[in-house]
Amino acid sequence: MSIEVEKIDVRFGGVTALQDVGLTLQRGEVLAVIGPNGSGKSTLFNAITGFVDIASGSVAVDGKDMAGIPAASRIASGISRTFQTPRINPAATVEDSVLCGFHPHARISFWEGLLRPPAMSRTEAELRRRRTRVLEQLDLLGFAEQQMGELPMGIVRMVDIARAMAAEPNYLLLDEPAAGLSKTEQNVLIQQVRQLAKQGVGVLLVEHNFGLIRRLADRVIVLDRGKVLLRGTADEVSKRPEFVTAYLGTSVQ
Amino acid sequence: MNSLLMRYRSVLVLIVVLTVVTMLIRANTVWLDTSVVIAIYSLIALSVGISYGQAGILSVAQAAFASVGAYATAIVTARYDLPAAVGLVLALLLPPLIAYPLARLVTRLNALSLAIATLVFGQAFDIILREGGDFTGGYIGLSGIPPLPFASGLLQFHFVAWGAVLIVAVLLSNLIDSPFGRATNTLRSDTLRAVADGVNVPHVRSAILAFSASVAGLGGWLYAHHIAYIGPDSLGPSVSLSVLLMAVVGGAQTVLGPIIGAALLTLLFKFIPSQEVQGMFYGGALIAVLVLTPNGLMGLRTVIGRWMKSSATKRERATANVATGVSAARRAS
Repeated sequence: MSIEVEKIDVRFGGVTALQDVGLTLQRGEVLAVIGPNGSGKSTLFNAITGFVDIASGSVAVDGKDMAGIPAASRIASGISRTFQTPRINPAATVEDSVLCGFHPHARISFWEGLLRPPAMSRTEAELRRRRTRVLEQLDLLGFAEQQMGELPMGIVRMVDIARAMAAEPNYLLLDEPAAGLSKTEQNVLIQQVRQLAKQGVGVLLVEHNFGLIRRLADRVIVLDRGKVLLRGTADEVSKRPEFVTAYLGTSVQ
Repeated sequence: MNSLLMRYRSVLVLIVVLTVVTMLIRANTVWLDTSVVIAIYSLIALSVGISYGQAGILSVAQAAFASVGAYATAIVTARYDLPAAVGLVLALLLPPLIAYPLARLVTRLNALSLAIATLVFGQAFDIILREGGDFTGGYIGLSGIPPLPFASGLLQFHFVAWGAVLIVAVLLSNLIDSPFGRATNTLRSDTLRAVADGVNVPHVRSAILAFSASVAGLGGWLYAHHIAYIGPDSLGPSVSLSVLLMAVVGGAQTVLGPIIGAALLTLLFKFIPSQEVQGMFYGGALIAVLVLTPNGLMGLRTVIGRWMKSSATKRERATANVATGVSAARRAS
């Protein structure tokens, strides 16, 4: 059970954003993707979730080829993602926002929404219970009734992660989840991601914070200008000169 | 229980207001007639609230959908002597049968293209009506539409029309407070966000437009049986714009907003009889509302709420100042 990305190319007009990129994400492992800005990390996320089309190569989830399957269906079938810049409705409350994340599980049709049969009230009550649990896990219960627009970035990011977790995905793709988080929030995040991995969720992580990657990731892939530069554990990768060059730039001699 | 009250609070407010108004005007035929007209416009304005307010679909064909319902019932009842119930079924089903595929076809493109598609549909339907010969009555339209057998009196019709508004208000309240409604809300503010929630955006958008078309069709059905005549100008493109204005002025995202807008602008229409200046007052009302309370008159609640909150803190601060002043004075003495 894994996500298999094989030799994908993504082009935007004349620009090649990803070239010949491949990876395997097993359920239950944490894989980090790092690289300088513009190296194609978010594009890789978009290619896996179907937000952009791939020019060649293939993406398969649990052995099923994803070609032609629209993004919403991929999400509904068990791949959740967050965005580098959280996409929020500033007027919505935290609890309502997280409730939206349950969409793949709600399975409530237009007609049921309109007529509200008793079965739907039961589903709604169950979703609200599960929402409370997710908020509790991420230490967000205290913010439940606040509007998203009033919250600091760290909390907004955590709510975004809660929303993605609500779908109870098999694979969770987190785009820079720790940016703007306080140390305490980072610790909650790390604990949650480990917990999810233990439960068998495959986590793909785009992150700049190498300390966090060291603590969290089983394996690391380094992207540079749309190509895979290195693969290995965090320690292996950090010792390679190519990594230092790509990430920090070359020293002026 | 509490959540039940919250969900249906708009409906409850509407019932209370209707009870009072009905008691006041029950013997006055002029006002009863106005009330029926407001109910019919409320339905078409609610259809705007559903498509535009909930899903952000700017449809400029809502009156055309109402017209489909009105013509359907006019043709089957006046021409073929079928019962009005058959007309009702057609009025509820035909508009969504047009709206769903229309939305499904163009909704992959951006939101503006759907607005243009509804405009094209409205214009095309207008031509079909005018060139429809005996079937649609052409430029002259269809007259002799029978009254509803169970609502021949004006007071009964008043109850039927507002009953229809109440039913739609209940359905809309249900929808807003459901996963489908939440998905609709998300895609209005951010389509990509909705996709990332796993929402099938084209389906949700099309279903909402279909529902709104059906509500408009219901309004058209009532219109035809109330006026007893329907022509190409009865529910034409200008009505589409009027109801859009009603929904926006009242507050398109709320259940009560479109109804308030319909009542207000219909009354404005009634008291400013001369045709030439009506447009000026319509435009003035729109500008005033958008400047003062961008979310429509229903948005006034938040504006007033914020104002009361800030004045309350000011008062608190003032009391605190007085208190410190008093204690300071005491200390001094």
